Amino acid sequence: MSNLNSIQYFIPELFLTAAILVLIIVDLVLKDRKGHIIAYLTAASAIIAGILAYQQFNLPAASLFQGMIVVDSFAIFFKILAAFSTAIIVFISLDSFGDKAEYNILLLIVTLGMFLMPAVNDILMIIIAMEIVGLMSYVLAGFHKKDLKSTEAALKYMIYGAASTGIMAFGFSLIYGLTGHTNLYDIQTALVNGHANPVAMFVAFMMILGGLGYKIAMVPFHFWVPDVYEGAPTPVTAFLSVGPKAAGFALFIRFLVTVIAHPTYGSFGSFTQNVQIQAPLLLAVLAVLTMTLGNFSALNQKNIKRMLGYSAIAHVGYMVMALVVLNNDAFGAVMFYMIVYLFMNFGAFWVVESFASKLGGEEIENYKGLGYRDPFTAVSMAIFMFSLTGLPPFAGFIGKVYLFSAVIKQGWYILALIGVLNSVVSLFYYLSVVKSMFLRQEDENVPIQSSLYHKVLVVIFVVPTLLLGVYWQPIINFTTHSIGIFFGK
Amino acid sequence: MIQLESFLIISAIVFSLGLFTVIYKKNAVGILMGVELILNSVNLNFVAFSKYVDAHINGQLMAIFIIILAASEAAIALAIILNIYRNRASVDVTQLDEMKH
Amino acid sequence: MVGFYTVLLFIFTGAFLVSFTVALSRFFAPTKQYPEKLIPYECGDLPQGDAWIQFNNRFYIVALIFLIFDVEVMFLFPWAVVFNDMGLLAFVEMFIFIVVLLVGYAYVWVKGDLDWIKPKPRLEHLAKGKGE
Repeated sequence: MSNLNSIQYFIPELFLTAAILVLIIVDLVLKDRKGHIIAYLTAASAIIAGILAYQQFNLPAASLFQGMIVVDSFAIFFKILAAFSTAIIVFISLDSFGDKAEYNILLLIVTLGMFLMPAVNDILMIIIAMEIVGLMSYVLAGFHKKDLKSTEAALKYMIYGAASTGIMAFGFSLIYGLTGHTNLYDIQTALVNGHANPVAMFVAFMMILGGLGYKIAMVPFHFWVPDVYEGAPTPVTAFLSVGPKAAGFALFIRFLVTVIAHPTYGSFGSFTQNVQIQAPLLLAVLAVLTMTLGNFSALNQKNIKRMLGYSAIAHVGYMVMALVVLNNDAFGAVMFYMIVYLFMNFGAFWVVESFASKLGGEEIENYKGLGYRDPFTAVSMAIFMFSLTGLPPFAGFIGKVYLFSAVIKQGWYILALIGVLNSVVSLFYYLSVVKSMFLRQEDENVPIQSSLYHKVLVVIFVVPTLLLGVYWQPIINFTTHSIGIFFGK
Repeated sequence: MIQLESFLIISAIVFSLGLFTVIYKKNAVGILMGVELILNSVNLNFVAFSKYVDAHINGQLMAIFIIILAASEAAIALAIILNIYRNRASVDVTQLDEMKH
Repeated sequence: MVGFYTVLLFIFTGAFLVSFTVALSRFFAPTKQYPEKLIPYECGDLPQGDAWIQFNNRFYIVALIFLIFDVEVMFLFPWAVVFNDMGLLAFVEMFIFIVVLLVGYAYVWVKGDLDWIKPKPRLEHLAKGKGE
């Protein structure tokens, strides 16, 4: 589609861009009199962009700007997820960063990047979209400028990110050399028709896996996760663990489906020998490594943010495990799990964020006796922890059932077994938080007064976590429909 | 006539040097220079492939965008490094162990 | 390949001439070493302190701002090449691009990052922890 015709399909992104510029100008005009206005405007812009994206949900798939990006329901699903997570994060960080215009505008720029990431269809756009998200995330991670941990987290995030982006770009340049195209579908056609050197293709694939694996925090590209998750401001940590990761998964899936998988195998099919890469086996090994390392490292963590960071690695492992089979079931499971993970993870991080000052820290030790000091919050936190473990009847259980069933249907029994065993391991460290809250007491239990705002947000996270555990069909319909319209299939 | 292989060899050498710098250097600014080397090797690859493999100029466009990317990355990285220096008067990455457990 | 022999010849001739003249001057010139000769030359003044001094932070910030706005000009070159073929559309696109850049420029300007002496932050809690 030509450039001028594409603009009508590009309205959500254009709206976000305009909103970013307007917010910068509003910030400059209002100077110190702004209060929380910018934060509210940011949340409103994100939600409006999400609604604008949803209006394109049922349109047939199309490619825009001469094949640079595509618009299809798969991408729109992740755009809505991105817009929603940004809006929630604005409210989570209202207390700490509500009056910081830059923080909210940066969040909105990341949202723009997350709108582009699931929709990419060209090497150029892959690199640009990932860098928009990446560069802004580095700044967000270091937003506490005077805090040693925060700046250290930013530097580590930046160094790993820059290096892995460079390596990924090198991989893409090799693919460009092997096929002579930058458009993903042209690359696929060239790979199917031509005879790309398998060794060179394998090297290129591994390099690209480095960049994408870094974005979704997959072993062995996970080194940045614990330090960044602990050091970054808590709302930013929550955001990084859901928003950019979901967009990264979308990009990963699109890359696997359009470049690595063979097009003639009907609807998605499985990986083939298209490019002579044992991609399923490779991904299976990486998935096992990711979940095992994440879970076992989380076992003896004392800082709750660090523990949640390692557990986030483990959850990435479960999702990569589903990607091994690369069919509609797996994608639906990953998308459903992302929604569930959004609610339970944001919930846990919101409790950490709003109680850090009241409890005097972010160590698991600080949560001792919380069940007697503020039962409402403690029970909610326990629900998030159980749901993260994957216990019934919470939403996390349903999410895991879908992930595991997608794998088992294709006969990867050992992989699923390792996944289940890992879930058992994860029970230990999630329960340690619950144990600390309920089974151990301070000498005297001083009740904690939490604000109405805190309670409302907790309820917003708890209700879906409970509800999706018993009634999840609408969401499954939504995800199934989203995969149905995938450009080029 | 210079062959495509010559470009690829040079680019591979530059890439390896960049990667080595990233891994070996202790100074944060030095690491950043390594990243710039990697990105420049990518540029060289794209331009060379654009000349020898592709009939279009996609590779050259990629190179332009990667130059921009390198610049913005350098700007943000230097800002973060400056901030680190203000906080601890050192940019040695081996001393960044605020969160070792 | 034959064309490269001239280059090789040129390199050898250049290297020989330079080393020859340097050696010649070394041979003829009177050498008399005394401590003052070894001092770095600073326009006749006696040098003070180390060469490794700390620069003002503002240099870095101005350099960073320059870097960003300088490299963005890169997009103007391909645009200039196709400008005649694309006409008004290209003009409008570049106009929007420049407007986006101008917003960034305005941000830098209003926030005082272009001033040599940055205005003190007006908010109390920001002014407190200012350790420069």
